[in-house]
Amino acid sequence: MQIEMSRRKFLQGTVAMSIVGGSAVSATNLLAKDDKVEKKLTFTTKTGEAKELKLVPTLCEMCVNKCAAIARMEDGVVTKLDPNPMFPKSKNMLCPRGNAGIQALYDPDRLKYPLVRIGEKGDGKYKRVTWDEAYEAILNGTDRFKGLAAILEEEEDNRSTIGYCAGEGMAEHTYKVFMQDKLGSSNFVNHASICLQTTVSGYALTIGGYGQADLENANYVIMAGANRAEAIVTPDTMDLFKRTKGRGAKLIVVDPRFTNTASHADKWLPIEVGTDLAFVLALTYVAIEENIYNKKFVELNFNGFEEYKEHILTSKYTPEWAEKITGIRASDIRQVARDFMAAAPRAIYYQGRRTAWSKQDFQLRRAQAIFSAMGGGIDREGGIIFGKKLPLGKHNINTPMYDNAQERIDKKAAAIIGGSGSWIGWRNTILEEKAAYPVRSMFVYKQNPMLSIPNTAKTKQLFEKMDLVVVIDTMPSDTAMMADVILPECTYLEREDPVKSFGSAQPAIALRQKVIDPMYDTKPVIEIIRGLAEKVSRPLFEITKKFDSEVQDAIKERGEESVYKEDGFDLADAFRHSQEEINKHMVVEKYGEEAYKTLLKEGVYYPNMDKFWKQISNNEFQWYPKKERFYSVVEGEFKSDVFHDTCVDEKEIAVLKKEFKTPSGKVECVLPNLAKRGVSPMPSWDDTQFTQIPEGKFKFITGRHAQFTQNSSSNNVMLLELMPENYLWINKRVAESKGIKFGDNVEVKSKVGQITIKAYPTEKIGPNNLFFIHGFGADSDGLTFAKGNGAADNHIIEDIIEPVFGSAAMHETIVEVRKV
Amino acid sequence: MARYGMALDYKNCIDCKACESACKEENGVLLGADKHRIWVGTKEVEGEFPFLSISSSGFVPSQCQHCEAAPCQEVCPTNATYYDENGVVRVDADKCILCTYCMNACPYDARYVDDRTMTVDKCNFCSDTRLARGETTTACQNTCPTKVRTFGDLDDPYSEISELLRRRDHYSLKAHLGTKPKLFYLT
Repeated sequence: MQIEMSRRKFLQGTVAMSIVGGSAVSATNLLAKDDKVEKKLTFTTKTGEAKELKLVPTLCEMCVNKCAAIARMEDGVVTKLDPNPMFPKSKNMLCPRGNAGIQALYDPDRLKYPLVRIGEKGDGKYKRVTWDEAYEAILNGTDRFKGLAAILEEEEDNRSTIGYCAGEGMAEHTYKVFMQDKLGSSNFVNHASICLQTTVSGYALTIGGYGQADLENANYVIMAGANRAEAIVTPDTMDLFKRTKGRGAKLIVVDPRFTNTASHADKWLPIEVGTDLAFVLALTYVAIEENIYNKKFVELNFNGFEEYKEHILTSKYTPEWAEKITGIRASDIRQVARDFMAAAPRAIYYQGRRTAWSKQDFQLRRAQAIFSAMGGGIDREGGIIFGKKLPLGKHNINTPMYDNAQERIDKKAAAIIGGSGSWIGWRNTILEEKAAYPVRSMFVYKQNPMLSIPNTAKTKQLFEKMDLVVVIDTMPSDTAMMADVILPECTYLEREDPVKSFGSAQPAIALRQKVIDPMYDTKPVIEIIRGLAEKVSRPLFEITKKFDSEVQDAIKERGEESVYKEDGFDLADAFRHSQEEINKHMVVEKYGEEAYKTLLKEGVYYPNMDKFWKQISNNEFQWYPKKERFYSVVEGEFKSDVFHDTCVDEKEIAVLKKEFKTPSGKVECVLPNLAKRGVSPMPSWDDTQFTQIPEGKFKFITGRHAQFTQNSSSNNVMLLELMPENYLWINKRVAESKGIKFGDNVEVKSKVGQITIKAYPTEKIGPNNLFFIHGFGADSDGLTFAKGNGAADNHIIEDIIEPVFGSAAMHETIVEVRKV
Repeated sequence: MARYGMALDYKNCIDCKACESACKEENGVLLGADKHRIWVGTKEVEGEFPFLSISSSGFVPSQCQHCEAAPCQEVCPTNATYYDENGVVRVDADKCILCTYCMNACPYDARYVDDRTMTVDKCNFCSDTRLARGETTTACQNTCPTKVRTFGDLDDPYSEISELLRRRDHYSLKAHLGTKPKLFYLT
């Protein structure tokens, strides 16, 4: 049955939803659905006939990009999200996901109330409780699970027994402040090790920063593995595809799949999965052998180049050598190296984003960075730029010291484990009981490890093993189903987030403002944390008093109240101010009241915005006049502490650099400090790290597309309409030989699991590989629209760890396929 | 009065379908794969792996062409399909009897049945939403990440679209049918 909902009916529906479900004591399904929603439900918004209209500038949160949007509110309902032209990063665009943000707000499956588990773990039986009851359950547990107080008592105040994770987001830092700085756990994992850890670290250690590819001005771009047409990144996607197809930028796409990005390329080089490093080393070989690199730049800005040169030549990384490994013709490799250097310094080997591919990722990113730098395109227009970042004011936090809290457990999972950890290494350390102490609780914020971490079966075991799992999310994800306590966060359109400064050649500050008040009984994470902090602060301090000798001594000296208040043990003190107050303070401190008013009104602020910003045509805008932009920021050297990506913690990169920075401040070809940790100091190909494909089997790869963001948008009806399920890409001739036709159900099986999915025979993938898009295959009963659509990649991806930073190696899994 | 048209720099298109979701949210188009006012045409790439022809692939956004000699308008028995004062081909829902002649007549396959109103709907350049509010863009143009679309008044020689069409080579779909589309594909 198809239920149609007009806007009016929909409005009534939302009102009804906030009333029904009030019987808090009765057992309710996790769903707590008020109207019976059929899977085919369709509803749409429409702008128009409103009596009351409000336009609120905000920032999108449908993916990590943070595009500026203007929300159109009509009679209290958000009816349209339009792009906000004031923001240089998103250049007046909203992608399909951004446009579908309304459906995330009005998703009937949203988590609406705090819930406490009353059934078995994973069966979806919860009861609705008040916020205070939820906090109480976290502190003292129920008859079903243990609370924090009991766990910390038993672990003698080792705060690190409480593990926690987070997905990328503007309030990730707020959550971290509570879990790490205030509550005191060292065991944090976030999305970095399943995303861009290796490329960010590789570039930071080699050229001083990840930087930003200036695709607006580059003349030659090698895009390997990255798929900017389908995994949209701002401003790269917008800048690049206006200039391809013979219109200024030559694009070379290196990818085992023919993607939408490849469809815009001048040349598509299908490469054997896991061999990109050999390709880059051969490019480097050609540049050295033919003496076509930028010698002046190298002389002035490189450290250890002679040694690297010697290494490349003596290792005989020739195009012919690489051809055998990569499957790319030696003549093509020579041509690409020559063309790249001829176009340099306006030539970029694109850094990449989700680089959790293979075991050699870190060396690959180092090799890319050095090759790019050999052309001289670093810290200058048309190359990799570092730009400028507008400073914001400070917000200080009083951090307590816990004597008994221990260091993180996954230090041995790889050569270098930073503050954001190795997700797989961390999980496996616990499961294999190799940790120095038990991790007994898990707090999850805005992440869905059940679907985002390779080897789902193990992630499930992890949650089953925990005494207490707390999930903060907007949707009843597969991970929420494993929670003991669920705390419903409001969506991004219902909250103000920490103000953010976006560094680039055209830097700006942007603000995610609240568009409407939170629906149901949901709250922004800062309020969730404030409430929790108030509840647990005193009782947990009692445990610290009992076990922490330093605190005991301090109390003897200065008295309990003084230690509690002045030493930061009052966990709630960091969250007393509202987000709005903090943001105002951070902006006014640096730029004054007028700037803050502009920020509220326009959603964006940068100095001289009133003079610089211009609309040139319907599609063109000026944010900074060209001569005012910050393409080059550091004279004489290109080390930069400015970091542009919102995905990785800047503080962490700063720590990394401190640990590894040589006094030279130059491009580092050789990293002796890495050698001390058993990592090759120079990019080198290692045959033993390459996974061969046995006869009759395939190497599985995963990737993204433009209508979905990982799995967080998997229940969005607008996006599901654009792509309702994922399909298995299988080479057409291979499919024929196996009698597999379009739409046939096939089973894909690896060492760790198996899935069933429909087949899409195509020539866009080679005979050695299978592929399907990430983000489908949710299993949660709470997700009416997402459940059972297609398959989830991490059910079959093996938990193989990249040895340098402990990233996931998601393209190393060998699978077999059969028709079912 | 204007004579609205749209130029499409279709080589920019990455098939992200932002235009489609913007259109649906703006105009309240029903969800469902067969319900859309605009779409992106794609073609399976030619050749055998690894020898694929890049030029055989590509994306062509399409929609109602707002023909000056619109076959759908000619065949409509109730005058439900009409040209408004801006040359936009519109549908008067009150007059439509769902005979679907227009659907058969349209050479661009640009019309679909709206199950709520039981009328044949199609793109109207956001005439009853954005244009009615005095805005000068359509939802699809405004949102497009790679700025494929330029919307404007073809009668105004100084409009951006007129300038663009003077400056750049372009073609229309199925021009030989004599329907005089007001959608122009820039080459």
